[in-house]
Amino acid sequence: MTVLSDQNKWFDRILAQAVTDLPGADLTWLQEKREQAKAEMLRLGKPTRKQEVWRYTSVDNLLKQEFESPTPDFSALQAGDIRDQIFFADDDCYRLVFANGRIVTDLSRTNGLEKEVSLGSLRASLGIESETIRSQILASSPSTHVFSELNAAAINDGLYLHVSANTKVSKPIEVIYLTLSLENQLVVQPRNLIVLDEGAEATLVEQYISTGDSVYFNNGVTDIKLAKDSKLTHAWFQDESHAAYHISNINLVQDSNSVYRNTSIALGGVWSRTDINASMKGEGAHCDINGLYTIGEKQLIDFHLNIEHLVPNTTSEEHFKGILYGKGRAVFDGRILVEKDAQLTNANLSNANLLLTRDAEVDTKPQLEIYADDVKCSHGTTIGQLDPDHIFYLRSRGISEVEARKMLSLGFANEVLMSCPTESMRTRIEAKIRAQLLSANTKP
Amino acid sequence: MLSIKNLQVAVEDKPILKGLNLEVKAGEIHAIMGPNGSGKSTLAHILAGRDGYEVTGGEVLYDGKDLFELETEERAHAGIFLAMQYPVELAGVNNTYFLKASLNAIRVARGEKELTSVEFMKLIKEKVKFVGMDEKFLKRNVNAGFSGGEKKRNEILQMALLEPKLALLDETDSGLDIDALRIVADGVNKLRSPDRAMVIVTHYQRLLDYIEPDFVHVLSDGKIIKSGDKSLALELEEKGYGWLTEESAA
Ligand SMILES: Nc1ncnc2c1ncn2[C@@H]1O[C@H](COP(=O)(O)OP(=O)(O)OP(=O)(O)O)[C@@H](O)[C@H]1O
Ligand SMILES: [Mg+2]
Repeated sequence: MTVLSDQNKWFDRILAQAVTDLPGADLTWLQEKREQAKAEMLRLGKPTRKQEVWRYTSVDNLLKQEFESPTPDFSALQAGDIRDQIFFADDDCYRLVFANGRIVTDLSRTNGLEKEVSLGSLRASLGIESETIRSQILASSPSTHVFSELNAAAINDGLYLHVSANTKVSKPIEVIYLTLSLENQLVVQPRNLIVLDEGAEATLVEQYISTGDSVYFNNGVTDIKLAKDSKLTHAWFQDESHAAYHISNINLVQDSNSVYRNTSIALGGVWSRTDINASMKGEGAHCDINGLYTIGEKQLIDFHLNIEHLVPNTTSEEHFKGILYGKGRAVFDGRILVEKDAQLTNANLSNANLLLTRDAEVDTKPQLEIYADDVKCSHGTTIGQLDPDHIFYLRSRGISEVEARKMLSLGFANEVLMSCPTESMRTRIEAKIRAQLLSANTKP
Repeated sequence: MLSIKNLQVAVEDKPILKGLNLEVKAGEIHAIMGPNGSGKSTLAHILAGRDGYEVTGGEVLYDGKDLFELETEERAHAGIFLAMQYPVELAGVNNTYFLKASLNAIRVARGEKELTSVEFMKLIKEKVKFVGMDEKFLKRNVNAGFSGGEKKRNEILQMALLEPKLALLDETDSGLDIDALRIVADGVNKLRSPDRAMVIVTHYQRLLDYIEPDFVHVLSDGKIIKSGDKSLALELEEKGYGWLTEESAA
């Protein structure tokens, strides 16, 4: 018998909570996957700051919290609770709503969906598309990230999207993950799976939100598989409660000539970490990630990109911007790997940070690891403040200092906001950032 | 309207304005000329409320009140406008959005109703036409990638839109082609009225062919060393500043 350290006990406790009511008791491969993940989780144990990927981010506060799994019958959610959060008019999208980890059918709408598209909860799809799910979950890249093992050890529910070959999903798919702790601090572990077959096309807009400022822990894993010539536009918006802990692990695998366009925007959480791991395995694949984080008082946000160019002729653009105020802290760790065979790779990585206050802090670490000789790669980072002459210009036109600082900050974020797949999403997020900057301490 | 008495201003302990006097009455146009580095932009900036200057002496009254009591934006609300010598580029800030925010901020401060988007678009399109700009500049970010002359036109557009009571133009004519120069002059002349005033900083008498100033002043080494009517500008064009600086040193 293994003797667990105190820290490992935390993982074990969370897991013990989560393993009740799991689907797929009859699926051996799934049981085995969960078992392996559990063993791996206990082997990896608590991340320490001696590990490079956790160097700037302590998990101590998270591990001080206790969390319970939600009861499956959580149904207190009303349409009104999400109305202010949705980006699309009902008729303009398909929508799935998950509340505390489980799908809320009443608020979801998939009528009119092309018959070549499967869209629903992973739980419900297990019985129907067992084979696709099996192969994708088993192929999910083994990670060195203990939290993704914790997720895998209790694979339960999440988004399942499968678009058949040469099918274009006619409307954007909006997925809302709402978490809300009522009496006890909850942990939810969405397990999302997105598969686009050859030549398929879709737009996916995901939002992680809450309706209050409760403490909870979202520990999600999203696997995305893009077959040859497929195209996914993916907006990812993290607007959790400012007391919540959030982890997202996004694993992307791209076949030849597939195109992945991602806009990632994070505003919420007291502590959050997002990893985007992209594996470009087919020639001609292109990946484009535009990110923005806007955080302040007592928030920490950590973005890790790991973009792997494994074959010749692939391209990627990763551009992240950060606006920090109050005592906000950000970590940006962007790595581009170009393997020996990956000639003619073109990859550009940038991270620009705007510090609105003296107490805000950012650790940014872009890295290029290049083993091929005929490539075009670049990386760059900046950390700066607002230019007093820009503020003066606006004030001399009658605009208040607070408004001027807000306008310039949003101007800084503009490029990323413009990459939102829809206008309604852009204006709503812009309004949220404005409200956040207005209520916050943004004075130097 | 504007009364500057013995104004002394320093930047980082270095005196720049060294006892400057200037009276501007409603309805008047004043031109200020003078050698590079003499303090013309410093004067314009201190009037508009730019940070980084220390007033070490003297006073400035605007409509009888201490100008330095007003915050930068409050001066704009009170009708002061500075067309800058070097307009800044604002990345990601849409020009239309900025122009509307500016006009509405001033209107609200004055207790007037904000213009709706529709009302504003109608107004701004008239103004754009008036200053001979292409409407596409409205869609771009403020001054971003504008040529030197385009930036100056954008300043004049703002002046035409905000209709200030006291307009300060700091070398708005520099870098303009002949047509644009005329537009600037038209803009100024159109704004000219008995209850408005203008202070125009320029190096060239050419602009003054189009805008007839009531007074011409020479600013040198932080002081106004000579004032006259428009004929002074012609004289300066001919003789330069040497004779004056010698005269004032003597
Ligand atoms: N921030 C600063 N730090 C140091 N010196 C300054 C600063 N700002 C202005 N000065 C100095 O003050 C003096 C006056 O500058 P100002 O820009 O007012 O001149 P100007 O008359 O407008 O010149 P120009 O005709 O070239 O535009 C110059 O010597 C300039 O170098
Ligand atoms: Mg100057």
